[in-house]
Amino acid sequence: MNWPLLWAQLFNGLTLGALLVLVAMGLTIIFGVLGVLNFAHGAFYMVGAYAAYAAFTTTKSFLIAIAAGAIVSLLLGVLIERILIRYFYKRPHEDQILVTFGIGIIMVEAVRAHFGGIAQRMPVPKWGEGAANLGFLYYPTYRIEVLGIVAAALIILYVALYRTRIGLVVRAGIEDQLMVSMLGINVTRTFLVVFGLGSMAAGFAGVINSPIVTVDPEMGAPVLVQAFVVIVIGGVGSFWGAMVGGLIAGEILSLTSMVLPAYSNVMLFAAMALVLILRPQGLFGVQGRQ
Amino acid sequence: MSLLEVNAINTYYGDAHALFDVSLRVEHHEVVALLGRNGAGKSTTIKTIMGVMSPRSGRIHFAGQAIECLPPYKIARLGVQLVPEERRIFGSLTVDENLTLAGLTAPNRWGNERAYEMFPRLASRRDNRGRDLSGGEQQMLAIARALVREPQLILLDEPFEGLAPLIVQDLIGVCRQIASEGRTIIIVEQNVHAALGLAHRCYVLNNGHVVFEGTPDALRCDADFMHRHLGV
Amino acid sequence: MLRLRTAGMLGRWLPELAALVSLVLFPFVFPIIGGTFDMMDRILIWGLFGLGFDILFGVTGLLSFGQAAFYGIGGFTTAYLLISGALTNAVVALIAGTILASSFGLIIGVLSLRRAGIYFAMLTLAFGEMFYFLDMSPLSKLTGGENGLSGVPPAAIGFGILVRTPEEMYWLIALLFFMGFVLARRIVNSPFGAILVAIRDNIARVGVLGHDVQKYKLTAFVIAAAYGGLAGGLLGLFQGYMPPDAFYLETSGQLVVQTIMGGAGTLIGPTIGAAVWVYLRSELQQVDAIGGLWKMVLGIVFVLIVALLRKGICGGISVLWRRFTATAPAPLPGLAVDSAVAARARVPATVTRKRSTLTGPIILEAKNVVKRYGGLTAVDDVSFQLAEGEIRALIGPNGAGKTTFFNMLAGTVPVTQGEIHFAGEQITRLGSTAVCQRGLAKSFQINQLFPSLSVRDNIRISALGRRYGKFYPSMLRDLRHDADIRQATDEAIEAVDLSDCSDAPAIELAYGEKRRLEIGLALATKPRVLLLDEPTAGMSPSERAVIVQLLKHIAAGMTIVIVEHDMDVVFGLADRVTVLLCGRKIAEGSPEAIQANAEVRAAYLGSPAGK
Repeated sequence: MNWPLLWAQLFNGLTLGALLVLVAMGLTIIFGVLGVLNFAHGAFYMVGAYAAYAAFTTTKSFLIAIAAGAIVSLLLGVLIERILIRYFYKRPHEDQILVTFGIGIIMVEAVRAHFGGIAQRMPVPKWGEGAANLGFLYYPTYRIEVLGIVAAALIILYVALYRTRIGLVVRAGIEDQLMVSMLGINVTRTFLVVFGLGSMAAGFAGVINSPIVTVDPEMGAPVLVQAFVVIVIGGVGSFWGAMVGGLIAGEILSLTSMVLPAYSNVMLFAAMALVLILRPQGLFGVQGRQ
Repeated sequence: MSLLEVNAINTYYGDAHALFDVSLRVEHHEVVALLGRNGAGKSTTIKTIMGVMSPRSGRIHFAGQAIECLPPYKIARLGVQLVPEERRIFGSLTVDENLTLAGLTAPNRWGNERAYEMFPRLASRRDNRGRDLSGGEQQMLAIARALVREPQLILLDEPFEGLAPLIVQDLIGVCRQIASEGRTIIIVEQNVHAALGLAHRCYVLNNGHVVFEGTPDALRCDADFMHRHLGV
Repeated sequence: MLRLRTAGMLGRWLPELAALVSLVLFPFVFPIIGGTFDMMDRILIWGLFGLGFDILFGVTGLLSFGQAAFYGIGGFTTAYLLISGALTNAVVALIAGTILASSFGLIIGVLSLRRAGIYFAMLTLAFGEMFYFLDMSPLSKLTGGENGLSGVPPAAIGFGILVRTPEEMYWLIALLFFMGFVLARRIVNSPFGAILVAIRDNIARVGVLGHDVQKYKLTAFVIAAAYGGLAGGLLGLFQGYMPPDAFYLETSGQLVVQTIMGGAGTLIGPTIGAAVWVYLRSELQQVDAIGGLWKMVLGIVFVLIVALLRKGICGGISVLWRRFTATAPAPLPGLAVDSAVAARARVPATVTRKRSTLTGPIILEAKNVVKRYGGLTAVDDVSFQLAEGEIRALIGPNGAGKTTFFNMLAGTVPVTQGEIHFAGEQITRLGSTAVCQRGLAKSFQINQLFPSLSVRDNIRISALGRRYGKFYPSMLRDLRHDADIRQATDEAIEAVDLSDCSDAPAIELAYGEKRRLEIGLALATKPRVLLLDEPTAGMSPSERAVIVQLLKHIAAGMTIVIVEHDMDVVFGLADRVTVLLCGRKIAEGSPEAIQANAEVRAAYLGSPAGK
């Protein structure tokens, strides 16, 4: 048994899982509150990465790049919600999927037009270079920092949801939008915030992940698919579902690549199929949420 | 000027005509009962006032302002509060959070403590989630939640439904207390006696039409009428 | 006479004829605007792919983002078999590819259809990607991975014919497309197709009318996979090379975009959308200002179409056509005059129904039925026996549990405890589809109609369930010529007095007519027991009178349970009355006895304050 390799892969799984958790959280919050399954979510992930890339090439500061990625995806999310998505809340779910899918295409092509289709490299920041000695394992510093960053982001998210007034409104809105409205709260304004924050989560994940993968216009599509798988496994509209589902997904991808590299992605879908057969609503999902 | 004036509203569910030229008025500090059988249109009237449904024709004025086209959140901000038929408290939020949420956009709001003074039973459950409360406790929370906003008009939609008689007695006491504080209330109830005991005036609806307007005494005198429009 | 018959036949076969003519003329017309045979071949391959997809999405309403899986499976199977020499005949290879694609369609369909709506869309997308990964890695030895499979030999279709050039290929593809189109039209016009259309309109009601919805959806999914597999095989033959992008998410996406642009549900929508996409792609790329942005432009067009012209190009054309051949504007729903009300209102209600003697056998029985939702007991130990031929009214105040109890009888709500027996058989856990097939039908308090279908087509769904059972995958039978169905439908329409408006779409009917249609849907399943949930809900007094008359006519020889609030209706109709309060049965007897019952009066009026 190659222990160092196993540990490395377990950690890889955590890192990968952490990013999936972040993306899936954004997706599930948007779905939980707005009822919209955002097929452009992967495109926001990509936009975040590119905004960071552009900021980095100009300023050479990774921190500014992170801020740029997060802010651009937030603003873009708010803009798209205002000019398009808000008109679709009363339309059937199918139409919402189609319009977000179309928006995704436009975003990808716009980025491709501006930056070209060739993959870019985002270098690891100075404070993330090298490897850290964990005792049982030498592991790339940056990846450990990613774990820390995502953990911090999730804590901030938790605080925002459970300790702030707007979080209160969001949680109530997931449950009963009309009642929130009858309590004098303009729910549609909350939608704006939710869509923006959900998109920002995706963009932020894109920035953080960019030193680990290459940055190209199509980078969002596999992430979107993986986020869907996470949600199916974890249960839609559930935060714990996104967390646990994301970590499980990350570990499946990572550990399988150790044993059967050709099948690592396929295993993820097999796990999804298994969940579908045994517990269709997902691990933390509510039964009957068809 | 009446606090609430409903003028000849016609509300539809899709294309089912539910309210036919319904008119009613409520004066300041009055308790008005809205009675009638199942499906008579009582809840529909309340929902139309609150903006949950829009009338196809007719007008509604609250404190002189036309509200028939306003969305629910604006009507709430003007000072109308609905305690819905299904209570609709937030099951995933704690009692305390339910109360806090209610007061977020209210200019003069009760502190949560004042709500707990009025409903001591809720105080002992303040950190429990809404879904863990009993039916009676949920109803109390729904009423407390409405009061937190210091509304000018409270709409109670079937507050006693599905509750044990003892709890109903408790709630009647609460309603008496609120009324004695001078609040304006419309109460919709199938439990005719309980409602008449609280009301200054009442309306009776039948199949979407107003068929009676008057005092509880006047209504009680006409046994035949009661029989025909309210029950078996 | 002959001319009329030919004209009728011509009308029926018009789409097929138009397709044939278009396919023949296409190669002569398209080049005029700069089209090539290469483009035409691609358009028709996408169109063939889209025929199946449109049956799944446009007709049945199931949005799948994973069709590329079947395109790829069919394509690579066909290509591999021909390249490896295992098969020499291209047609046989195509069939092999189609069969394999359909088989996988069955497996993926079973898994994906465990969820509905958007979850289904997510799942199909995920499974589609799974095949992409399978193609790239584990199976790359067979599929060539990123390189694809080259060296597909020219298509040998038998009789020594070799199809090589794009021009020759066109005629093969066009032939297969035409056959696929005729078959697709046939499917849509069959009893099977009618159920698919209904599923799109109101899936819940289809199940309650006795159809096994899951099986229908699965079959539609397999059909789409089959068409996809065939199209994929043709792609490999046409290019002499099977590309890996057949498995890409982009391919699934392009299919969806093309179908929406052309118009979903029309069968030719995908072909039109493909023509737009393929043509614009080549034209826009040549425009300097656009060049590489052609896909973004198409994306913007797509978003605009979803937002503003949801029915696509075909929809836009049909709207223009309707305006061009403008007839009297359709009446606003709700304000349409109910024909029967106008007619009958003048005739006083004089039909009195003799109270049944209630000596018939017990046909429906509930034994100690309980329903609990978590801690709340909605129905508490209710038992009840219904004799054949009886009319029973179920009354009680709001929250008494009567709707819940009613729904348990109909099988739409599962029972927590207790049993329900119908005609001697236990039906407690059978579910609403099986219950309906056994002869117990329910009509809803809030109309559950098929809004875009005509009255006749609405009723036909019930008649199909009665005639052919819960699953009848007959795709080649022409429903328009089915005399049995026609007769059953006509009878039911007569029974609820909707013959005057039988061709009007349900959504345009007056409210009273809609209520009658609602009852008609239940009636047309020819039930032994009819459950009516507040049939007079939301009605004006005149509409109410019409319904009561109708029910009296229906009541002869029928067993009915009716939930009602209007005491006049109860008195006019019911033999016996059952009263529920707080989930429990508190009284049962003749209407007069119930009226005099003190406990019932208290229940409705509430106990006096302080007692």
